[in-house]
Amino acid sequence: MSELAHAWHALSSGSVIGAAFAGVAWGIVGGALPGISPSIAMALLLPFTFGMDAVPAIVMLASVYIGAEYGGSIPAILIRTPGTNAAAATVIDGFEMHRQGRGGEALGISLVSGFVGGLFGLAVLVLATAPLARFALAFTPPAYFALGVLGMSVIAGLSGDSLLKGLFAAVLGFMIATIGTDPVSGVARFTFDSPDLLGGVRPIVVMVGLFAVTELMAQSIEPAWPKMQARAARLRLPGWSTWKRLFRPQAIGAVVGTFEGVTPGAGGTIAAFLSYNEARRWSAHPGEFGKGSVEGVAAPECANNTVTGAALVPLLGLGIPGSNSAAILLGGLLLHGLAPGPMLFEKSPEAVYGLFAGMLVANVAMLALGLVILTPCLWLVNRPKPYLMAFILALVMSGIFALQGSLFDVALVLGAGVLGYTLRCFGVPTLPLVLGVVLGFMVESNYRRSLVLSGGEHAIFWQEPIALTLLLLAAAIVGLSLWREWRRARPS
Amino acid sequence: MRRDLTCAAFGVALACAYYAAAAALPRSLLADDVGADGVPKLLAMLLALLSIAIGVRGALRGAGDGGIALRRHARAFGVAALGAAYLAAVPLLGFAPALALLLLAAMLYYGAALRPPALLYALVGAAILWLIFAQGLGLAVPAGIFG
Repeated sequence: MSELAHAWHALSSGSVIGAAFAGVAWGIVGGALPGISPSIAMALLLPFTFGMDAVPAIVMLASVYIGAEYGGSIPAILIRTPGTNAAAATVIDGFEMHRQGRGGEALGISLVSGFVGGLFGLAVLVLATAPLARFALAFTPPAYFALGVLGMSVIAGLSGDSLLKGLFAAVLGFMIATIGTDPVSGVARFTFDSPDLLGGVRPIVVMVGLFAVTELMAQSIEPAWPKMQARAARLRLPGWSTWKRLFRPQAIGAVVGTFEGVTPGAGGTIAAFLSYNEARRWSAHPGEFGKGSVEGVAAPECANNTVTGAALVPLLGLGIPGSNSAAILLGGLLLHGLAPGPMLFEKSPEAVYGLFAGMLVANVAMLALGLVILTPCLWLVNRPKPYLMAFILALVMSGIFALQGSLFDVALVLGAGVLGYTLRCFGVPTLPLVLGVVLGFMVESNYRRSLVLSGGEHAIFWQEPIALTLLLLAAAIVGLSLWREWRRARPS
Repeated sequence: MRRDLTCAAFGVALACAYYAAAAALPRSLLADDVGADGVPKLLAMLLALLSIAIGVRGALRGAGDGGIALRRHARAFGVAALGAAYLAAVPLLGFAPALALLLLAAMLYYGAALRPPALLYALVGAAILWLIFAQGLGLAVPAGIFG
């Protein structure tokens, strides 16, 4: 009952409801801008949450994530340009419906399917996180070390087309995490006598650089996206006969979205394509897919919105962010003094249940705002690209400065952006790098703490059952990824 | 192949520099068995190994990845250069004027024409951001020579 009381308290304050609506509104606009992913939209908003109370701030960030997943489908349907990666599958039938003069119907199906998926994902989050966190309370330092290794191995194994490059990025991130004061001896490491580096490089600075600045750099060599016609976009909610057809693809999207969401590294894009494929396989009208099928819009949209809730399960339960957006949310939690993981439920239950309540409001807000925000959203997205990009760059520069009033942070963000773009040129995924930065401290400090406990004996890692299980899992994942890569590289 | 080889060279160079910096770390009396340099040295070796593996795989694959289009990417790095110029200008010019210049320069860089609407947008944009951050959030922003 105390959980409900926390949730009710958050809702009754009013600021959480306002934060949810504001976050969703910004999320829809950000998601509708091609190139601005949910994580970038969240990162841009982060500095504005700095002065807010923790619960509304976290709710606002999570709401951006929810809104952006729907926003991404708007340009996907109207101009065949997915606003987010996860909306790429929506292009196939959504744009075809638009070409047939059914764009409004496609937008309506996207909105309601996103709402259904969002609620399902939230239910998964509420039901699965607390038991996971309770289990993680039994973790000892060796288990935490193993958990960090598992988190990095999962991401490295699942990101991009190269395990080697995923691991390369994870090690790079870990190296960044070692900058600052050594957690055991207090020695200043890689600070080059700069007092700004003594506290280490804050993950959020790296994330904003890697996501926002890297994308701004990439957009400078991309052509402008086509304009969307506001007149062609009159949103129309599905009638009962259409609803009956949507039930099955939405159920498929919800199940696939749950599975992909709780798996670190998988994310909305894989969920959307996988659910599209499964919806076609199980459909009574598979021939309509690719030709404007309502099911082809419902399944991926439901899946990528289910991911918004399910992806937070490993973040809140174990402290492992499984996606870029979850990593930004982690940055937001840390910014407000909340360390995600099992202790979050013990120390700050009001934040956890306030977030759950806020996400419920955010899903309702997405449905409500989705009906009215389309026209102003299209107006904003249709502004000239140079004006939009310049403003976002200025927003990033001033926003990062606002975090600590430090120009050094601005320089770090630019450095992280350059690193991110360089890695993109090399085909190296950046999510493992973020994981390295986030989990590096946890891995190193718990590794060394374990060795202090065992008197320097590494056997502690396989004598402790949870640690052994997690390490074996990590080894299995890396082994499986290596095997997959070997099969892919083998000449057919 | 060139892309992977360049990545490998970048990784090996970084690993060497990082290892050297780790080896130069002072030894503390409070240090544990691993020491402040233990994990960094391990990471440097891991990075070097992974880089070599990426390079070897790239070489074995042959002319597969087509290399990196340097001229195209150089333009992207210009955005970071704009940010660096802004960073240098802020203490001198102050927060709002530097932001206005950044907005204008970035608009031109992304392809806008130097016309009155762009100038107006830069001024209004900088004023909005100044209002949000300096007035709304109460941030102590650099005043510069005009302050």
